[in-house]
Amino acid sequence: MASELPPIPPVIAAEELAKKGEVPPGPGPVTEGIPGREGADKIRRTITYVVLAAVSLLFFVPFFWSISTSLKTLPEAAGFDLLPADPSFRAYREAITTFNFGRYFLNSVFLASVVTGFNLFLASLGGYAFARLRFPGREVLFFLVLGTLMIPHELRLVPVFQMLSEFPVTHWNLLGSYQGYILINLVGATNLFLMRQYFLTIPKDYEEAAKLDGAGYFKTYLRVMLPLAGPALAAITILTFQGTWNDFFWPLVIFLGDETKYTLPLGINQFRSQYSTQWPELMSASILAILPIFALYVFFQRYFIAGITSAGVKG
Amino acid sequence: MATEARTERSIGSERVREALVGYAFVFLPLASFLIFFFYPLGYAFYISYFDWGPLGKIETLGLENYRDLADDELFHKALKNTLRYTAVVVPCQMALGLTLAVVVNQALRGRTFFRAAFYFPSLASSAAITAVALYILASDGLLNALIGTDKAWFAESGTALESIMGLNIWTTSGTMMLFYLAALQAIPTDVYEAAAIDGAKSWRTFWRITFPLLKPGHFFVGVVSVIGSLQVFDQAFIVSGGGGGPNYSTMTVVLYLYNQAINDVRFGYAAAVGVILFALIFTLTVVQRLVFGRMEAA
Repeated sequence: MASELPPIPPVIAAEELAKKGEVPPGPGPVTEGIPGREGADKIRRTITYVVLAAVSLLFFVPFFWSISTSLKTLPEAAGFDLLPADPSFRAYREAITTFNFGRYFLNSVFLASVVTGFNLFLASLGGYAFARLRFPGREVLFFLVLGTLMIPHELRLVPVFQMLSEFPVTHWNLLGSYQGYILINLVGATNLFLMRQYFLTIPKDYEEAAKLDGAGYFKTYLRVMLPLAGPALAAITILTFQGTWNDFFWPLVIFLGDETKYTLPLGINQFRSQYSTQWPELMSASILAILPIFALYVFFQRYFIAGITSAGVKG
Repeated sequence: MATEARTERSIGSERVREALVGYAFVFLPLASFLIFFFYPLGYAFYISYFDWGPLGKIETLGLENYRDLADDELFHKALKNTLRYTAVVVPCQMALGLTLAVVVNQALRGRTFFRAAFYFPSLASSAAITAVALYILASDGLLNALIGTDKAWFAESGTALESIMGLNIWTTSGTMMLFYLAALQAIPTDVYEAAAIDGAKSWRTFWRITFPLLKPGHFFVGVVSVIGSLQVFDQAFIVSGGGGGPNYSTMTVVLYLYNQAINDVRFGYAAAVGVILFALIFTLTVVQRLVFGRMEAA
């Protein structure tokens, strides 16, 4: 299975190279040096930039348009002026106070943070054991972990729904509770895989030094291995936080009918079905949902890339 | 002799200790996978053989749920929509993702910016991005204003599914670009240098060298894209308010499963839909493996 799984690719390793001033490998640079082709290259280059600019525009226009609308008044939003005549944050205030998006926002922050926390702890703990500790059945168990990647969410819908409505043995009703959502998202196989791959790249000397100092396994994990695994932890943080923050399916299944538990995606959907044409409020809610992830991505991007890259090397 | 035995014993007990600690460390993650993945998998197969309601077993049906699905016209419609969606979205995503990756893999000025720009739609949640799309594709929205029509794109059965296709090609091609970019960078530079020395034109270099060398990338992107497409739900649910309208043009397999389970509480029937989806995903993944595996051998 481990070899079956496509190696997690070294995403944008070249960006790291570029930062160091090296030109990454690629089909582009090679043709440059061929004599007599400068003219053709220049034309090709110009065309490339024009196309790139046009495509970027296509990727940005919808967002630009929604930001612009979120700053407009309702009557203004019916027109097609590129920029609001008198930009104001009125729609944002409305969305947060009148329409409960403040609550949905906090729910999203809470769930995404807790789920990310559990994933960081359990994936690193399990990843460390699978990478470093020797115990009978280790390979089989790791194979099982990767096997979960093939089980589609939707197949789990009915069983999980039933399980949460009356939890086996304890008879808790976890449907509609934060605990229910957190429980089914405690740890993801991708995260555990990432952690294991990263730990495999760390030289054993560090642990041996810790062992000589008399440190136990847990202490070695906590004090020696975790601090060395920063990039992998950063990658897990962004992947899990984004996944939970954007999740639509499970919150819909678990929180349906209880608006106080809604996350931003559910809130946006609910708002749209009730006030479909209040575009400024709807767009400001959508921007509120996108901004934190955007910020997180920008902030963690460097570590994220390093984490994924190192996992790919051993993948 | 005595000391040797003691060392052996202490090494042995150290081994046991390490194993016990290992089990302790993997216990919680494994328990979570067993309870929330493997148990549901078996349970879904199990209850698909019953008429299963909110309170449990009503009647043993054997394969009848599956026979009913074979005659269920709405399920057929959902399956057809999903397959049509997959057949359009997967090639577009792959082509667009590859094109963008090749372009931003060149030594361009502002390359980092372009990469970020193309990836940007992939960051947003389906709910937020669908809200934006509903706004832009509304009958009095920006798109109609730009092209001079007044079509309600998501509200007409002839364009609703196509609009979702367009939306998702747009939002996910950035992710596919990243995957392809990684695959491109795994190709050694000397391959290109050899081609340049031979005087190969860049277009030819791409088709003769880069494209075949990207096989692992094609496989990975293909699998991810097919699995994602077969599970399309969020956008269809949001656009149609859960009903799959207009005229069931946005009814997908997962939306059908959701409605059977949550609205009609036909758990056994819904589980059977899930099993069929699982079988479909599994088969297509194996087929892709065979196709790209053979290419690798060639």
